[in-house]
Formats: sequence, structure tokens, C-alpha cells
Amino acid sequence: MKRFTCSGCSLLCDDIIVKSDGLFVTEVIGACLKGKERFDLVSAPNRITKPMIRSNGELKQVSWDEAYEKATEIIKNSSNPLLYGFSNVTCEAQEAGMKLAQQINGFIDSNASICQGKFLNKAKNLGINLTTITEIINKGDLIILWGANPAETIPRLLNKVLFSRGKFRMTGREIKTLVIIDPIKTASFNVMGVRDLALIIEPNKDIDLIRTLKEECCSADSVPSEGVAGIDQSDLKRLLLHLTGAENGVIILGQGVIQPHPDYDLVEELLELIQMINERQVKGRISLLLMGGHFNMAGFDHVALSNYGSFGKLEFKNNQIVQTENTLISKIEKDDFDCSIIVGTDAIAHLPQSLSSKLANKPLILIDNHSTTTSHIADVIFPTSITGIENGGLAYRLDQVPIELQKIVNPPNNLPSDEKVLTKFFNSLNQGGAK
Amino acid sequence: MKFILNSIRRIDNDQAKEHALGTKQSLEEKLAVGFINPKDFEKLNLVSSLHLKISIDGASVIVKVEKDENIPEGTIVMPVSLWSNQLSVVQNNEILYKNIVVDVEATRDPITKFEDIIQKLVVNK
Repeated sequence: MKRFTCSGCSLLCDDIIVKSDGLFVTEVIGACLKGKERFDLVSAPNRITKPMIRSNGELKQVSWDEAYEKATEIIKNSSNPLLYGFSNVTCEAQEAGMKLAQQINGFIDSNASICQGKFLNKAKNLGINLTTITEIINKGDLIILWGANPAETIPRLLNKVLFSRGKFRMTGREIKTLVIIDPIKTASFNVMGVRDLALIIEPNKDIDLIRTLKEECCSADSVPSEGVAGIDQSDLKRLLLHLTGAENGVIILGQGVIQPHPDYDLVEELLELIQMINERQVKGRISLLLMGGHFNMAGFDHVALSNYGSFGKLEFKNNQIVQTENTLISKIEKDDFDCSIIVGTDAIAHLPQSLSSKLANKPLILIDNHSTTTSHIADVIFPTSITGIENGGLAYRLDQVPIELQKIVNPPNNLPSDEKVLTKFFNSLNQGGAK
Repeated sequence: MKFILNSIRRIDNDQAKEHALGTKQSLEEKLAVGFINPKDFEKLNLVSSLHLKISIDGASVIVKVEKDENIPEGTIVMPVSLWSNQLSVVQNNEILYKNIVVDVEATRDPITKFEDIIQKLVVNK
């Protein structure tokens, strides 16, 4: 019986007790539903344990050599490969993917670019106050969930930041105020107490609330009597008082806030609001915490920055990194790729039909540990071990803190890690063939 | 009727879980579903045997309908999945997963099957 870090989501809980006989995980204690699902994946019916190649429309099990040969053939016939995913793999695998992209002159990007990475990209120019889970536990007195529903996406987040007792606070939940701003009354509303503030905002009206808060930032007395975006005057006043009076407030952002709009940029306006509050705050500050789903969504940007000095997406020509205006979306939308290598993600199910249909109709190599919608259209599939259970490595938690994951049991059929498969691609291509 | 479509993650309607532990049938049961306010259910003259056809710019899916009083009127919520992403759109080089204006109507047609969507996606292989 030993403590391990769970790779079920980006919270990377490091207090999961796992009983194992060395061959199998026999009991998991302390994991949430998502964590339990991660461990269940080891013996799930859709686990892939043998490499596969599509032939006449059907997937057939093949030897590793045959699979590498087919993949090498696809990559060699490509002049413009696209590499995507890399949020459910270790930083070591992300680095191996970037090396491969450099070698084959590809474009590489992660799931973060269509999720929280968008926020960080904009924050680069405006500046941002990020915080950590530990800081919220120890010092936080205000937690705002804006367009975020951690109760169902990162199930233990509220448990940790809201209910735990911090080092620098004599009390825990009692002094922490929870504010939820959402158009839908989600499961996260169920943890609210009498001092908390539930704000059901009209759909697509977040911008009206942000602009009002920006205008009224100094004075709660000038809040419009008719309210804003479905939120009445008294709740608006309470929100303003919380924002301007918190010693250590945090806004936890979900997908709801980072949705694009043709007429304004919600992210920029929100960042400006936070700057405005912090400049006028005498005793405290408001920080941000970004919620990402996949366990190492934050890692890709760190690896890209430390290895190539570039944030997020990377494009290579003549084996050198080039400045690019291209994005994952523009590359796929313009059909500016001729094959794809998808790593640890279900791209076909996650992307809009206009993009997934383009991916589906070009050669697709999939590296993943279980079958998904993407495996239904992949041409070559490389099964891998499950990170955090069958192989270790580094991952970045959602608050950008690096955490080491450990191996608990051996994978079935000695399956290689994602990093090993990508490195084998690299070496095979260096040697001029798969064998 | 015009609705605002929001695709969200729900722990009971999770795509990864259904792929890992479910069957193709449970995949459709848990993911090919739209949640609407009971008042909208009435406005659309729905009964439990009918389904919802959700359309945008020529793309459409047919899903099971469930009532949820936590959803505001005029909004339809779908779990993030292959079905919801037949309706998500690209706008100004960004993907819109929420606040998508869609047409919603009641239908007797069957729920869009997983294989039907895959077949539609793959035309050149």
C-alpha cells in the first residue's frame, strides 16, 4: 500500500492510496470518479494492447515492426505532417513529439490551444496573476467559479480549495466565500452555503457583467437599479464588495468564459477587470486559476518554451523552428497538412465536424492506450502504457506546478510508453527505415 | 425553434467513460442526448417517445431529449461528444463550443447512430 499521484485529471491528486500485488492494482482508495475511471482503464474492454493497421477498411492486428513500417511510410510520403494531442502524455513524451516534429518538418500543437492555452496566450500581452492550489488552501478567502463546473470536471478541486483548512487561516470553509457565475445551475452549486453567492447569468451576457463591474469598480452605490444580465442590484453589490474586499481572491475559469465572440474579446476584458481591481485594492488581490481537463494540458507550453523558446504551437521548416501565424484550426481548415499523428486524444470526437472530417480523410497515425472515436478512422494504431499507472514521468498540474508521476504496475504485453513510441519513430526515420 | 446550444462536461455523460466501460449502445444512450428546460419541452410539444432534431447550417443530429429544470429556457445542453461536435462551429479561427444558435424541432426519426456519423465523416478512405 503506497501513496501515488492520480493522472485522472489535471488536479494530479498526490494522496491516492493504491494497493498492488506488483502485477495488478487491487484497490484504489481516495480517488474521485474520474480517478477511478483512470485506474479502471487498465483492464477496460476497449484497451488496445496490440498494434493495428487499417486494411480494406478494417483494422487488423499486426506486429510492431509492420506497424512502424506502415507509419514510417506514411510519414516519408508526407511533406506537411500535423502532430496533435499531447495533453494526456508526460512532458518527456511531449518533448519527444516536438523532436519528431522538427525532424519531419511538421506542425505540432496540443489540446491546450483550443482550451485554456487560448487564455494564457492572451495573458502574455496583458499580464496575469496566476495562483496555486496551495496558496488558495492556505490563504484564500474568496473563490469565484466563472463558467466553470469543477464538481463534474475536476471533482476534488472544491474539496481541496474550499473545504480544507489552511496554514495561515485559523478556520477553513467558514471564512471562504464561494461565488458561482454560470447560466446553468450546475452540480457545483450543490456545495453552496448561506454566505455564498449564486449568480445565474443570462446566456452569452458575461460581457455585460464584466463591463458593468469595470465601470462600477470603485463604488457599489452606483450599481444599476435594474441589475445586469439577469443579476439583480443587491447581488451585484455583493459581488462588487467581495471582489474589492477579498484579501486573497481567486477566479477559477472554465470553458464558459473563453468562448470566442465576433464583437468583443471576453478574455481581454476580464483580464482588464482583474487588473483594475488589483490596482485599486489596498490589502488584497484577485488571482486566476485555469481549469484544464487532461492531466498534462499545462505541460506542453512549458516544454515548448523551455526547449524552443516558443509558447504553445511549433512549426518547423528545414528542421528549424519558424515563426508562424498558423494555428491548429487554420492548418486543418485550409487543408494545410497531408497526414496527422494524433497522440493521446480523441481528436475526431473533440473537434467540430468541419475539422474532424478533414482529419478523417487523410492518413492518420494514432498513439493511444484505448480505442476512441479516432481509432475508428485511424490508419495505424500504436497502443501504449497508461501514464501514472504503467509508466512514470513529469506532468504539470493545472496551477502550473510540476509533479512527478510514478509507475505502479507493468503494462500488459510490455506496452511501451508514448515517449518510447515517438522516440522509435524518430530513430527509425533517422536510420532511413523502420527495421 | 431557435435555441442556444451549450456543450458541457457531465460526469454521468462522460465520453471517455462510455468509450472505456460502455458499449456502442450506451455511448448513444449517454451522449446522444439534449437537456432542455421542462417549459421548452412543453413548447416543443414533446412527449417522451419523440426525439430532438438539432440543426445548424446544413448539419444536424437527432438525439434523445431529457428535461432538466436547471437549464434556462431557450438553452439546450449536450454532453461534449461526437454528437455535440457535429454542431460546434469554427468562427474567426476559433472553435465555438458554447452559445451556438441552433434550430431545434421534435421528430419521430431515430437517434443518429455512431456509425452513421463516422460514415459521413470518412468519404475519401
